[in-house]
Amino acid sequence: MEGVSYERFPKVKIREMKDDYLKFELRETDASMANALRRVMLAEVPTIAIDLVEIEVNSSVLNDEFIAHRLGLIPLTSDRAMAMRFSRDCDACDGDGQCEYCSVEFHLRARCVTDQTLDVTSKDLISSDPSVVPVDLSDSSGYDASEQRGIIIVKLRRGQELRLRAIARKGIGKDHAKWSPAATVTFMYEPDILINEDLMEALTLEEKKNWIESSPTKVFDIDPNTQQVVVVDPEAYTYDDEVIKKAEAMGKPGLVDIYAKEDSFIFTIESTGAIKASQLVINAIEVLKQKLDAVHLSEDTLEADDQFGDLGGHLRGG
Amino acid sequence: MNAPDRYERFVVPEGTKKLIPFISFFFFFFFSSYLSVNCNGGSSTVNDRVSYERDTKIINAASFTIEREDHTVGNVLRMQLHRDESVLFAGYKLPHPLQYKIIVRGSGGYGFEQLDWVLQIHTTSQSSPMQAYNQAINDLDKELNHLKRAFEDEMTKHPREY
Repeated sequence: MEGVSYERFPKVKIREMKDDYLKFELRETDASMANALRRVMLAEVPTIAIDLVEIEVNSSVLNDEFIAHRLGLIPLTSDRAMAMRFSRDCDACDGDGQCEYCSVEFHLRARCVTDQTLDVTSKDLISSDPSVVPVDLSDSSGYDASEQRGIIIVKLRRGQELRLRAIARKGIGKDHAKWSPAATVTFMYEPDILINEDLMEALTLEEKKNWIESSPTKVFDIDPNTQQVVVVDPEAYTYDDEVIKKAEAMGKPGLVDIYAKEDSFIFTIESTGAIKASQLVINAIEVLKQKLDAVHLSEDTLEADDQFGDLGGHLRGG
Repeated sequence: MNAPDRYERFVVPEGTKKLIPFISFFFFFFFSSYLSVNCNGGSSTVNDRVSYERDTKIINAASFTIEREDHTVGNVLRMQLHRDESVLFAGYKLPHPLQYKIIVRGSGGYGFEQLDWVLQIHTTSQSSPMQAYNQAINDLDKELNHLKRAFEDEMTKHPREY
């Protein structure tokens, strides 16, 4: 029997969108949903990262496991990750988790032959799948040659060599942080700021300036035309109560009223580059839906329980 | 030394949560305190992730144990259950941070002894805890669908910056 639906209808508005940075507003939903999205983005959206390293030759100054650890932390473009299978679930390979469906193979060969130090970077990792490559972190404007190098793995001197084979697999941040696709995910409540105009009139310009400066971030300013205090950037407010304390210290409590809107959130997402920031949000919603579906009760259980329910009632009552 | 493996946080081991341990526990419980009957105490293993037990002392109350989940799912479910008017009480907890499961439960307000509860839901006679639980998950599913569509629409409308 279907009960009344208690569904919410959230609204989204994107403020700023770049490849690896996203700022958007989420309205008309609960804080638990916003927090669940944040937790999923950090820990449960799958990506691909190097998980197994076979080293043939290593005469560098770093030892084998050190280099393997660094290789694991290199972000790889993971658009394939949602469709890929986990290695442990894969039935195509013969149990070693290295088939083409559940993993990607990388090679690295570097040898220093000159007197100059050779930087082995993430650009030297050669992938077997062109859609999964180390993330290119260089700026598109490319004003500085040093920015184009990629992530440095190790530096080699003359005569030192590094040769290895690496397997990258799908994983989630909960298992190891190398699989986390998000650099930072934050959300804040949107503040609602109301200035009491009558009390504000009673202040001199000097007092108004003093009061505005007591806020560590620039939330208020004096309008040059009307000489009134206006809210210039409500979201710069960090919920420190400095302006409220200053108003009380000046003898004017209630000068401004600031409260957080309970169902309005501003998300700021920075991605490592493995997945685009906007794609990250969509994947997070998908993963959260899958989690909820996994804990769903099936319909036949409900029926069985209903039959039981009467019996149980009799037993308890009788 | 005693810490469980990292993958235990989300990988459900195969063949877990058989009904038998619950039955035997309850048989013992029933025989010792109620001197009766052969029901399985109203517990059930739905799939290998979720199992639930009806509360023996309070009508319309049940405890759901969800394996390998944490606050991400627990808090969202709990807040959604609060919105349902026929649910009198809903709460969840993690029994221990190193045991990777949550228990969701509702009680009538007069104290309850715990065996091992995780999510408790206590409802009025209009609906059963199982219905409330299912309804909550359905509503959350719909909300997430709506959110996804809203986000995708916004993405197409918003001009891309490079």
